[in-house]
Amino acid sequence: MEAPALRATDLELARQAASGDRGAQRRLFLAQRSNVHRALFRILGANRELEDLLQDAFVEIFRALPSFRGDSTLARWCQVIAVRVAYLAIARRRPAAVELGLVEDHLAGDVDVRRSAALREVARRLYTALDRLEPKQRVAFALAAIDGRALAEVAELTGASLFATKTRVWRARRELRRLAGKDAVLTAYLHELEGGPS
Amino acid sequence: MTGPLGRPPIDPLSEVAWSRIERGVWARLDASAVPEGRRARRWWLVALPVAAAGAVLALVVGLRGPGGRGGAEPTRLVTGAAPSLASFGDAHVELDAATALLLGHDTEHPTAWIEHGAAWFTVAPRGEHAPFVVRAGDATVRVLGTRFRVARSGELITVEVDHGLVDVQFRGVIASVAAHERWSSERPAQTTRIAAAPSTPSPAASEPPAADPAPGSAAAASEPPAGTSAPGAAPGPSTTPAASPAPRSDSPAPAPGASSSSSSSSIAPAAPRHPAPGAAPATTATASTPGPVDRERAEYDRLAALEARAPDAALTGYLALARGTSPWADPALFAAARLAADRHDRRAAPLLALYLQRFPAGANATDASQLLARLKGDPP
Repeated sequence: MEAPALRATDLELARQAASGDRGAQRRLFLAQRSNVHRALFRILGANRELEDLLQDAFVEIFRALPSFRGDSTLARWCQVIAVRVAYLAIARRRPAAVELGLVEDHLAGDVDVRRSAALREVARRLYTALDRLEPKQRVAFALAAIDGRALAEVAELTGASLFATKTRVWRARRELRRLAGKDAVLTAYLHELEGGPS
Repeated sequence: MTGPLGRPPIDPLSEVAWSRIERGVWARLDASAVPEGRRARRWWLVALPVAAAGAVLALVVGLRGPGGRGGAEPTRLVTGAAPSLASFGDAHVELDAATALLLGHDTEHPTAWIEHGAAWFTVAPRGEHAPFVVRAGDATVRVLGTRFRVARSGELITVEVDHGLVDVQFRGVIASVAAHERWSSERPAQTTRIAAAPSTPSPAASEPPAADPAPGSAAAASEPPAGTSAPGAAPGPSTTPAASPAPRSDSPAPAPGASSSSSSSSIAPAAPRHPAPGAAPATTATASTPGPVDRERAEYDRLAALEARAPDAALTGYLALARGTSPWADPALFAAARLAADRHDRRAAPLLALYLQRFPAGANATDASQLLARLKGDPP
């Protein structure tokens, strides 16, 4: 769909939903739920406690709908709110790091199983390290490095300048490398994430 | 591990979870429109700790015949550490511990949704009325009058029929499940014969609800606390759930139906908690072997009963049990992985991978592979 037509569709849907039309609200919810979930998941790292945050995000979205002017797409506008909800959540209280026992670093068996297990394990280590970052750095890094968004887009989603966004991502990387220390697996994965889209 | 790993996967939410989120959003929006309504905000979050505190829930849902509350919001029943009883129109529902169930109030099309856990349903013959429907994830069970059990652990759904016949529809596959047969979403086109165990629910439990003197608050008041329930303590028509305190006994751990042997009486709630005999070298010792095996079995049973009220402690206990070399290491490691998966714990996938490494031919290997595939988001 062309951008102007998409904006018009978005504006009409937003207008109907803002007027209290539950059918329109439901269409909006269904259309945007994966967008919002993705943004929250990338920043938080797991579905645990995400149901409450998804509720928070959508309640904020519906309450703010009268202010939607169509300057961006509805999807982007919803993501901005989702990012803000995620930021407030991690700024309020940082999730406790999860201890993992028993699981070995190198798993035998099927290659896909090993790759999947390794990816989840390194993701767990990454998010454990992210728990120790300053929230704004964490949000910027999660959106830019983990989700692979352009810095300009991250700046738009977080309401920060491009310069501030670059600085946050750079500082997050530096701090993560320091936290990774002698963890060769996490260090290698950070290096992979810095290499751009995989 | 060589080569790039790629971006961390985004674990999808189930449709039931999305449905719960959507309901919560509408409830909060409605509540903000009516200030008094704010008390209703996230009422279900209040229900869970109340149930988990050990209070036995026994509800009579006021749906009797076609004059019910059509169009009303569904009722959500949540059990904590203790099982519970409920009546739903002409159906009688026995909820396991740690179970969440939604009951729709459309009396023309009575429907129950299992969010997680398991329940036995005794449905009186429907006659001219529409079938009674139970939904669990993507599985739909239609019934005209029978007694059956539907269990859900994550996206794994199982159906067991005590008597009668039900149809299960799952992602385009329709299977008929007859008496003493078991169906699983792992193999939706197949049913497995299960033995009628001596410890199967009491005859009273399978009586039609017409003979049910409406289990209600009296049953709730007389039911013992969690974990100490005794058969016969409750005056309701069925004391079977109270006699089987093991929560999630329906769940895949450790290997319900993993063995093709029909000797495992998986219809009996306690039976699936035992490792399948002979399914793996480590499980050759029988449960009757005296000594450490008995102690480990007792420990396993204790942990199974602990899952609902202290899942973290249960998971830690399972992991400790899994470190040993006893026959219970296999089911304990799988139970830990399954419990972690139920709780969206990041350890689930690594634990499943570890299980497959340690017990590639274990009693739960098939379940572990499929659960791992689901966690990875692979199509079934």
